Amino acid sequence: MRNTMLIAKREYLEQVRGRAFRLSTIGLPALFAVIIGVGYVASLGLGANKHLVIMANDAALADAIRTQIVSDKDGTPNVDVAAPATPDTRAQLIRQVQSKAIDGFLSVETQPGGLPKATYTAQSSGDFITNDRLKQALNDGMVTERLAGSGMRLAEADALVKGISIETFQVKKDGSVVRSNAQASFWKGYVMALLLSMTTLIYGLNVARSIIQEKTSRIFEVMLATVKPSDMLAGKLIGVGAVGLTQIAIWLVAGAAIMVTPFAEAMLTGQYAVHFSWAEGILFPVYFLLGYLLYSSLFAGLAATCETEQELQMYMPLAAAPTWLSFALIILIINDSNSVWSIAASLFPPTAPIIMFLRMASEMPPVWQFAVSIGLMVVSIWATLWFSSRLYRVGILMYGKRATLPELVRWLRYS
Amino acid sequence: MPVVELAGVTKAYENKIAVNDLSLSIDAGQMFGLLGPNGAGKTSSIRMMMGITIPDSGRVNLFGKPFQRESLDHVGYLPEERGLYKKMKVIEQLVFFGQLHGLSPDDARKRSTAWAERMEIADALNKKTDELSKGMQQKIQFISCLLHEPGLIVMDEPFSGLDPVNAVLVEKTLLELKDRGNAILFSTHRMDQVEKLCDAICLINNGEAVLEGNLREIKGRYERNRIIVEFEGNPAFLNSEEIAEAKNYSGHAEIRLKPHGNAQKLLHEAAGMATIYRFEMVEPSLEEIFIQTVGGKANA
Repeated sequence: MRNTMLIAKREYLEQVRGRAFRLSTIGLPALFAVIIGVGYVASLGLGANKHLVIMANDAALADAIRTQIVSDKDGTPNVDVAAPATPDTRAQLIRQVQSKAIDGFLSVETQPGGLPKATYTAQSSGDFITNDRLKQALNDGMVTERLAGSGMRLAEADALVKGISIETFQVKKDGSVVRSNAQASFWKGYVMALLLSMTTLIYGLNVARSIIQEKTSRIFEVMLATVKPSDMLAGKLIGVGAVGLTQIAIWLVAGAAIMVTPFAEAMLTGQYAVHFSWAEGILFPVYFLLGYLLYSSLFAGLAATCETEQELQMYMPLAAAPTWLSFALIILIINDSNSVWSIAASLFPPTAPIIMFLRMASEMPPVWQFAVSIGLMVVSIWATLWFSSRLYRVGILMYGKRATLPELVRWLRYS
Repeated sequence: MPVVELAGVTKAYENKIAVNDLSLSIDAGQMFGLLGPNGAGKTSSIRMMMGITIPDSGRVNLFGKPFQRESLDHVGYLPEERGLYKKMKVIEQLVFFGQLHGLSPDDARKRSTAWAERMEIADALNKKTDELSKGMQQKIQFISCLLHEPGLIVMDEPFSGLDPVNAVLVEKTLLELKDRGNAILFSTHRMDQVEKLCDAICLINNGEAVLEGNLREIKGRYERNRIIVEFEGNPAFLNSEEIAEAKNYSGHAEIRLKPHGNAQKLLHEAAGMATIYRFEMVEPSLEEIFIQTVGGKANA
């Protein structure tokens, strides 16, 4: 145990003192902040700089549609009206689109006794945001115009089509009812799951890289004359895992410090309110540790069979597969976080850490599910360590060529 | 009581027998040379001594007891495949290895500093390993084996990568350790160093010991059929019927007599043709014994 802890300490200090640790500790949250910030800022101005023309044979309808578009709080494009349209209007507008004088035009042809026929002609065919906005404006404009036509005052008709916003509340396990925000909760869970998957993979790969480097530098034989292979592997896993926990602790402390600043309070109130519970604060390091031990012990065994980091890259799709699978299940989890599939995925060890956090974003799963998920992960870690320690023990002394599959099977049989 | 003893040790890997029924023993205060061509089984034998691999059959005893990991606290091992942590400072690295062998951090630091001064690398203690030359790294590795004052020192090719000055420094250190009663085993291809340093040898070929025992006794078993001649004048005597092979280096000739070749007759012939300054019958070198014993089987 003494030697295991000495190896863990050496590994920990080497990584914590390294530039990569400093860069990732500051850089990873900064990168997330930038991505989220850029995405948010970009979404604010979507469609704001568009120059559109509404072409209709019914001038009142065209005005109603224009009113709906320019009153959209998310974007106020420059909208002109060409109504009533003449036979030449369409050809003129196409020439304007071609010469980029306008971005596009919405053509609405009302037909007696039927629904109007609408087409949108534009420079770009992929702008689904503008398409959706026009569709909404067309429908709202139609309803407003018809209501006004049947005698309702325009202001009343307009108020009717504006829609009513719904405030959401969530009933907690203790029966208390709290204001909630589905989007904010989802994004919180998503970011935590992403952070968890990235740290698990990064530190799992750090173990693998460290083994390859030691194999390349031929240090194993020196070490094996003093330390048992199992102690070496344990020391490495503990050391690198402690580096990951240190990084998470720094993020949690820094996050808590930022949260209490007036600036963050102002940012995170109202519709963007995000609440972190104690359970999340405890379960995040627990699932990191379990996920890390599962992946790193697997990578350790595989790395011992490789000669170079390039060879290790072959196993990367294998490493990333559970993460892809976890994120592919997002819609399923959002739709019903308590469905059989959601529960199964949150108990399946390779996907458990990420799926659990996605589920927690919607609703806190029952305690027994956490217990089963953690129990299954512990059993999987034990099985993976058994498998990897055998590959590791033989692989670290094998130089010169990559092991073939039959060789790996033979290594597993060695006592 | 031998410090290390291998008795009928065998180790096979898949289709190859690396070591076959090898027996040897090394006493305290003895310098032991493990020789053999590449792939003969030297490193496999050493790895079994160090518990890195386990013999399929046979017995390994360390300090009079069947192998147990605790015994390794009294062994210093320099493997053929050298390795140091490249980004660590030399002093931190030495303290780490000292601690792995049971020393306290303070003790490990003091001993590391003392050894670094002795091996003339004190200036490198605060440098990172990858800033140092290969020879310097070799000396650091050498020190890391000795910090915990082991009773048995096992070194696989300890002189490879060292310049002549540092090789002499290592030789001198090993001789001092031997005089202090340490048992030392090293493998090498450098026969001159074995002749100079070793009391006993074991020559392995194809995993089997083909020659083992006290170096003096082994050399005594071979006929003195080599002659060194220093001369001036006609070298035609080197074509004598008594000679099996002769190499002439401008007045310095190395001669191997035919079996039953007559040295006195050769001296007479030589004296008739040239002025002889030296005519010396010497025992065969270890290199010749090595080549003669291993013959064309070696792939080195």
